[in-house]
Amino acid sequence: MRLATAAMLLVATTMTACGGDKDDGAKASAPKAPATIPELTKDPLTLSFIWFDWPPAKALETFANAEYKKERPNATIKVNTVPNANWHDAMFTQFAARKTDFDIAILDSQHIGEAVTNGNILDLTDFVKKNIDVEAYNPYLLAAYGQYPQAETGKRDENASLYGLPLLGDTWTMIYRKDLIGDKPPQTWDQMISAAEKCQSENPGVSGLAFHQANGSDAAAVTYNTVNGVYGGNLWDSKTRKIDGVLNDAAGQEAMDVLVNKMKPLTAKGSGNWFIDEVNAAVAQGKACIAFNWIAASGGLLDPKQSTLGTTREQILDKLGFATLPSQKTNLVPLGGMGMHVSAYSSTANQAEALNFMEWFERADVQKKWAAAGGVPSRTDALESPEFLNAGPFNQVYTDSVPRMRDMWNVPEYARLVNIENTNVNAALNGAKKPKDALDDIAKEQQGVLDSSGRKGGGGL
Amino acid sequence: MSDHVPLTTDRPGQVASAAPPAPGRSRRLGDRGLAVAFISPALLLLLAMSVFPLLWALYLSFTDYSATRGGPANFVGFGNYTAILTSAQVHTRALTTLIYVVGAVGLQTVLGFGIAYLISRRTHGRGVLTTLFLVPMMLSPVVVGLFWRFMLDAQFGVVNSMLGSVGLGQVEWLTRQRTALLSLVVVDTWQWTPFIMLIALAGLTAVPKYLYEAASIDRASEWFRFRTITLPLVWPLLLIAVMFRAIEAFRLFDLVYILTNGGPGVSTETLSFHIYKVAFLGFNTGTASAYGILMVLVVIVLTQFYLRYLNKLKEG
Repeated sequence: MRLATAAMLLVATTMTACGGDKDDGAKASAPKAPATIPELTKDPLTLSFIWFDWPPAKALETFANAEYKKERPNATIKVNTVPNANWHDAMFTQFAARKTDFDIAILDSQHIGEAVTNGNILDLTDFVKKNIDVEAYNPYLLAAYGQYPQAETGKRDENASLYGLPLLGDTWTMIYRKDLIGDKPPQTWDQMISAAEKCQSENPGVSGLAFHQANGSDAAAVTYNTVNGVYGGNLWDSKTRKIDGVLNDAAGQEAMDVLVNKMKPLTAKGSGNWFIDEVNAAVAQGKACIAFNWIAASGGLLDPKQSTLGTTREQILDKLGFATLPSQKTNLVPLGGMGMHVSAYSSTANQAEALNFMEWFERADVQKKWAAAGGVPSRTDALESPEFLNAGPFNQVYTDSVPRMRDMWNVPEYARLVNIENTNVNAALNGAKKPKDALDDIAKEQQGVLDSSGRKGGGGL
Repeated sequence: MSDHVPLTTDRPGQVASAAPPAPGRSRRLGDRGLAVAFISPALLLLLAMSVFPLLWALYLSFTDYSATRGGPANFVGFGNYTAILTSAQVHTRALTTLIYVVGAVGLQTVLGFGIAYLISRRTHGRGVLTTLFLVPMMLSPVVVGLFWRFMLDAQFGVVNSMLGSVGLGQVEWLTRQRTALLSLVVVDTWQWTPFIMLIALAGLTAVPKYLYEAASIDRASEWFRFRTITLPLVWPLLLIAVMFRAIEAFRLFDLVYILTNGGPGVSTETLSFHIYKVAFLGFNTGTASAYGILMVLVVIVLTQFYLRYLNKLKEG
């Protein structure tokens, strides 16, 4: 009897505890940041970021502590990092707890919809109007890292709200072996495949291509999306929210066929789980003729300590070339990089400091210094500055690629959409599914996710 | 002053019930109160850390609640359960998990018992050998996953390098459908065979020597002794070890996450890995809770059947 009473009490407590969340629904929209930066504290303060573990994270912490401290000596910048695979979960589980140990979330551009819809980040529209020179940016870059609902490719909707500002721009670069395929990079996708094929046959032990194929993060999905764009395909029709019939149309099928039947055979055996580090390792060890990787992750390729291609940076650069992606039916390239977003659960003092940091970071002089420190800025003046263009051999590639960029969907369902695409493309690349079946499954399953909002139970399957 | 309880009693056949309370002890705090006071911290901790989350998950499993979206937790009845039980995706993961559990636990049982049997026959170096065999079990599964991932790498891994040195070709251990699941079975077997070995060794050591001596006098063969003495006596203990390992293997997550991330495609996604995706990629907390509750139910039901069989075996 006592046991039963205790159990009933516990169930009642549980129900009461759960019932507390029912009020949250009304608050499920992004709170607004003030237009003017509030008064900043004079007490010591740590401004925390969250990002994934890669060289730009370390570069940001070093740069910000060196430069921002000149303006705000009482502020210390801490960039907390997690493994890439846990990046989304690390941010959104804290958002779910309505308490974050970071003040600025560095979100992938596609995470914006989820964070905005859940009210996890501040609406910066008024703040941007008052403090940021929006004319100084390529409109699409500003939109990609902050606007929600998502902008059309290449455009920005000036009436839409902004929830973030650019931190690090990025896109894919084609890395090619000048000593094996010549100084001039292939100009079309067909030429690139032919060059890789020839290089592989002439150089035993060196594979023709190296690119992302893993089923984690957005690895295989970005690879397919890139080929899809180059071959004139579309990921979806954003106005009608239609994927089935759009992604798997003739252009989409051709892109999948090229990827699986023409490109995959030119990769190394067992490369079906490769991502950023593995592709870089293959290039640095001289095992690939042509590779594709994110520019922001390519700096290590020039480090003689990590390379077998030369004992100095110059020797490595004699062998490695960096170029914009070849075009085919279109010249689209993938948009990478991330923006800064203020956590809605950070303290008032830290939110004020975060806004001040963002205003400072987007200044013309600071953007050039960020470029010189190894970062990829977003302001057009910084992108065209000698500080940026001379900082790395791939920086010109980024500047040239900006007008060609296309992003994925940034809807709240992004994490599930990308998982469906990753697993199916990975399955096609590794022989677990036929290319056509994989593409049709992606389209069907993704459409199911977009259409399942009114479903009674079983969401997420 | 408190009243003293007599140590002896006038009534024959009765024994003094308790020692006198210590001087200064409160009258109100009797033996029962003291017991409750000592147990309650552990009990509260158990309620807060295990029972409460379980009941909460049970409640959420009947709703469409999402941890990130917030908003009201709308009651959906058995909607989540029906969706899970009828989902083709879940059936695929269940089959993968079943193949994995049968493969890994079967292999571990055969190897673990075999090693234990061999060790039990040794008189010298038994302790050292046992300790050495136990090392893999003491490592974190994440560490084990990471170094096996390097070892099984098709390009740079030591396993393919060794195969190459004996004239065999490269094997894509982690990126082909069949070899990826096999790799998971092999790595799990490497780590957890010692567990079965340890339990089997305990059982083998406990077999009375006189039985073997009697069998020797009767000139029983080695195989006869194994079949009629060793195996029947160790079998119940071995089955308990198998049960523990099967439960562990059923909820495998870490090795999959590190070694294959469920790939290629979803061919090595286990039920636990799928729950993780449902819970954290789309933050469908209600569905994930129902999924978790169903897994707990499966384990409880199967374990009950298993324990009944063990009890019958014991009685027999």
